[in-house]
Amino acid sequence: MSTNAREIGRKEGSFEREPARRVFASELRECRYDFREGTDEKSPTFVLLPTGERCNRIFIVGTLTEKQRQGDQNIFYRGRVVDPTGTFFIMAGSYQPEAMQQLAKIEAPAFVAVIGKPSLYRKDETSTPLVSVRVESINVVDKDTRELWVLDTAARTLDRIDIFKTSTEPDVIKAKEQYPAIDPSIFRRMAYDALAQIKI
Amino acid sequence: MDFSETADRISRKFQKSGQTIDPKKIEGKLRRLIEEFGVQPSEAERSVTNDLAKEFNLPQMAPGGGGGKSGSATEPKKIADVSPEEWVTIEGRVVALSSPASPAIAQSGIIADDSGGIRFVAWAKSNAPAMTVGSWYHIEAAVVDEFKGIASLKIHSGTTVKESATDGALIPGTVPIVNLHTGVGSVRAKVIQEWDASHERMLQSGLLGDETGTIKFVIWKEAGKEKLAVDSVYNIFYALVDEFNGRLSLNLNTATIMQDDGDILVSGGIVAVRGALVHIAPGSGIIKRCPVEGCNRALSRQNYCPVHEIQPKFIYDLRIKGWLDDGEKTHNILLQRDVVESLTGITLDAAKEIAENNPLGMDEVFLRMRDTVLGRYVTCHGREIDNRLLVNTCERLTFERGEHAALLNRAGGAP
Repeated sequence: MSTNAREIGRKEGSFEREPARRVFASELRECRYDFREGTDEKSPTFVLLPTGERCNRIFIVGTLTEKQRQGDQNIFYRGRVVDPTGTFFIMAGSYQPEAMQQLAKIEAPAFVAVIGKPSLYRKDETSTPLVSVRVESINVVDKDTRELWVLDTAARTLDRIDIFKTSTEPDVIKAKEQYPAIDPSIFRRMAYDALAQIKI
Repeated sequence: MDFSETADRISRKFQKSGQTIDPKKIEGKLRRLIEEFGVQPSEAERSVTNDLAKEFNLPQMAPGGGGGKSGSATEPKKIADVSPEEWVTIEGRVVALSSPASPAIAQSGIIADDSGGIRFVAWAKSNAPAMTVGSWYHIEAAVVDEFKGIASLKIHSGTTVKESATDGALIPGTVPIVNLHTGVGSVRAKVIQEWDASHERMLQSGLLGDETGTIKFVIWKEAGKEKLAVDSVYNIFYALVDEFNGRLSLNLNTATIMQDDGDILVSGGIVAVRGALVHIAPGSGIIKRCPVEGCNRALSRQNYCPVHEIQPKFIYDLRIKGWLDDGEKTHNILLQRDVVESLTGITLDAAKEIAENNPLGMDEVFLRMRDTVLGRYVTCHGREIDNRLLVNTCERLTFERGEHAALLNRAGGAP
């Protein structure tokens, strides 16, 4: 009996949850390429960052500046979360009832932490895609948390830029193909500016 | 190399049995084994002796060698040296007796000498005298067998068991946890964690650690068994070392356990993860546990325990299950009551108060705790077991000016 319990525990434990990547708004905004890993209906989809990292999930902290309720039949909420570099577009619909209710409760402006899944939306085949974040969880946080996030995200972004220069990882190569016009070193400047906005 | 001395010795041995063998012939056989085949001289002597004994149809007479029953069974062997499928004679002290698992077994337990311990089973059919814990016995012609990689001494009808005159204490040497192997082992270790019992017959389970590593332990319910205290150091003699799913664990029911005043700096296994709490799972907050001694399972909302059914006199507890994410990897974490209290600032008493005086009840505690910790940066120290981080301490991260300055320099530095 205990055998069984332990084996089940192990199976559950062996599941690898997709990590939440740290990315600034002005890098996420540049994403144009997404893909699915595997052929299964439930296989995760990824958005490829210009700095050469795939992300299925992101963690952002910023200021919720506005939120809007939309739809009649299918109610959903849209919101804008601002970081030192730009704006994230977030949404939570009835498929994420908990996230939607959390978002509904929060009054803008407020510092919020958002865990969500980025995806690309295109009005039609030819238009430039818009990156939007489907909220899994959102919560009001303090200013300290936002500043910690800026440090964290700057460090992760700089790590990616460093790796990009020399790496032969498939995702880095793919990023070079998909984003030929983007030089990731522009994100170094972005990270610097974000850090410089923190006043001590 | 001169083999005449050895050859003479062998020759003399056979002379006693009335056989005359030319020492030159013996010497030739020895030389061939040693020089051509690189056999150790002592092994060559044994081999040649046995070979000749076979040739002359004599009982084997080689010293201390394996092979036949009669050759090996009379000289006592050190317990640490016995190996499976051997017939052996040992002299040891019974250090533990356990209740026999079957009527075919008269006694089972552990017998030890100064070299180590071994499990033993005395078959009911063996008619061996009942042995008592603490006494020494001379056990002649027992068989060693192996089950699931664990050696055990079988006392059968052909085994002679005599109480031995040997007396005195036996102080076994303990081994570092990393050096344990299946069978019987003694360790000096500290109880570093106590886990929820996963079986109603279980008195206690948890984790023991020493300077070299950690190992699971279990104590099954039995008269006279007591729980170990967390953070205390024990000398544990003759525990059963079992293997399960490729992991070793200690069964302490056979063990002699003595508390030790010292302390151990447990190494290995402790990891620090710094990241953001990205998910607080259902089942976090205030929970009810089964009050049946040794059970401690979390109850459902209807106070239902999977083993003990409805338990209206449950015990409240706090815990947080969730995911801690450092941007590269997400760790499944489990925070126990004291860690939850210090992280959320909500004590168990306060949580009870909230749960009992609120329309949302226990959910209210979950929501308050989630709102306090979700999306926050923390550093967790703990042990990773079965892909779950069991957290000992969890602190909120604070803004470090030094880190900020270093990052500014890094970002502003040459591309």
